Amino acid sequence: MMITGAAGGLGKAFAAECASRGWNLYLTDLAEDSLRPLATGMERLYGVEVRIRPCDLTDPAARAALWEDVARQGVCFHGLVNMAGIEHEGSFVERSVEELLGIVRLNVEAMVEMTRRIVQFRDPARRLLIINASSLAGYFAIPMKAVYAASKRFVLDFSKALHEELKPGGVTVMALCPAGLPTAPRCIRGIEAQGFVGRLMALNVGDVAAMTIEHALAGRAVYVPGIFSQFILMVGNLLPERVVAAVLNRRWRDRGQPVRHTLSIPVSSTSEVMTSK
Amino acid sequence: MTANHDLTGKTIVVTGATSGIGRAAVRELAGRGAWVLGVGRSPERCREARDAILAEHPDARLAFAVADLSSQRQVRKLACEIRERVLAEGGGKIDVLINNAGVVPGWYTATEDGYEMQFAVNHLAPFLLTYELMPLLQAAPEARVVTVSSSSHRGARIRWGDIMHRRYYHCLLAYKQSKLANVLFSAELNRRLGPASRVRAYAADPGLVNTEIGQKHTSGFIEWFWRQRRRRGATPEQGAKTIVFLASDPSVRGSDAVYWKDCRPLPPSRYAQREDVAARLWSLSERLCGISWAG
Repeated sequence: MMITGAAGGLGKAFAAECASRGWNLYLTDLAEDSLRPLATGMERLYGVEVRIRPCDLTDPAARAALWEDVARQGVCFHGLVNMAGIEHEGSFVERSVEELLGIVRLNVEAMVEMTRRIVQFRDPARRLLIINASSLAGYFAIPMKAVYAASKRFVLDFSKALHEELKPGGVTVMALCPAGLPTAPRCIRGIEAQGFVGRLMALNVGDVAAMTIEHALAGRAVYVPGIFSQFILMVGNLLPERVVAAVLNRRWRDRGQPVRHTLSIPVSSTSEVMTSK
Repeated sequence: MTANHDLTGKTIVVTGATSGIGRAAVRELAGRGAWVLGVGRSPERCREARDAILAEHPDARLAFAVADLSSQRQVRKLACEIRERVLAEGGGKIDVLINNAGVVPGWYTATEDGYEMQFAVNHLAPFLLTYELMPLLQAAPEARVVTVSSSSHRGARIRWGDIMHRRYYHCLLAYKQSKLANVLFSAELNRRLGPASRVRAYAADPGLVNTEIGQKHTSGFIEWFWRQRRRRGATPEQGAKTIVFLASDPSVRGSDAVYWKDCRPLPPSRYAQREDVAARLWSLSERLCGISWAG
């Protein structure tokens, strides 16, 4: 099982979930330093074999090198959990072009390549599971997260299409669409900044990882964890798009302020830009 | 009830030393003349605690080391640092190790080793640190390992099927399990060391104390719960009493008891006294830390 973004909160939860099922792991993330203790922990706790491979997935050359290594080592996979992703919250005009393209490179470009390659290096005797991290944000056009939300929309549609296309070949492709999860102190602050609603939507990543694998094994195309998120989705689908965008804009402007403070992005000017459009 | 035994010449290590019970214990022990090495997670808080205690006890012999006990790498690095400093300044032995640091995150959180935060910080860190410092403890004429447990251990069981509480995590259940592990660890350590050993382990129940535990990185109901709970709690100084007592009182040595509350021995829960459970937890903990006490 290959897991990208393995050292992140959700990545670690997936590593533990997969290892607890007796699956061997191939973990990748930016820094080797963060992968090694995780690998040792998983080996000790679950007795599985763990390989680690640091890789900057935004860099096409680094991705190519990773797959060359895979070919050389003769590893074959029965799954890919694509958790690597970045998010930059805040005004579009205050982000540098590099930052914005970085989101597309990792969330879109790397996602496509990893999905394509894992099929090439699959274990032919087993069913292949591919789990791609989309987001609840993938369902909506979200002001202040325009590029991020659109990149997650890409992941969502991409995964849904591949789900049908690859089904006959014994491949299950599933998009995971979580709301904000309490993984890092910054995320927890973000959840608290959203008040009651944020807290209602927060789920334990251990449960999310376990349920995600169960849904993928059951052959689902999309999994939205949490009853509250599913409810939001239902309501969001009933309302006209323009109304949803307006509501989201207000929500992020009003309640998101403390979060943006911690990221030290000035807000006042941005909301003017948004409304004057 | 606690006599103020002079502790000059004693070397004492305390984790979680920058706030709550740990800080109160450091103040008291250093005030009585012991050389105290406190461990904290943040350099600023260590400095702040050090300055505050020195303001009260200008002659106190005090040192602080920074480590994040959720990381086994850092626990090992900390042990090396403690070893060096104890050899240089602390007389080359540790008389008392106080495993006090504890956390209660509101959500399931994995450490860098992929373990659940409470199990890692509240149980595995003391287990590993005690192992690493055992040679220094054995170098003292008689040494004590005091691990801060809680009456929360009552009613808890070890969740063998999912010891990391990945599924259906509830911070209070994970907390209860970790405090139960503290009692099982202390009892098993004594069994393994044998009655003739110069080192003895104790689990201290500080009672309900008004500290910041349960309020860092939690929110909503959980934070409210701990806030209500701590309202009825005693001051950190009162909470530190049993710990200081176990660390300093000569009469403790005469008792076989493991679990202490209000400076008196008290039987822990029946489950906490089970030797089979303690032995099983011990070998699992060895595996998770990659160590073997026998060898």
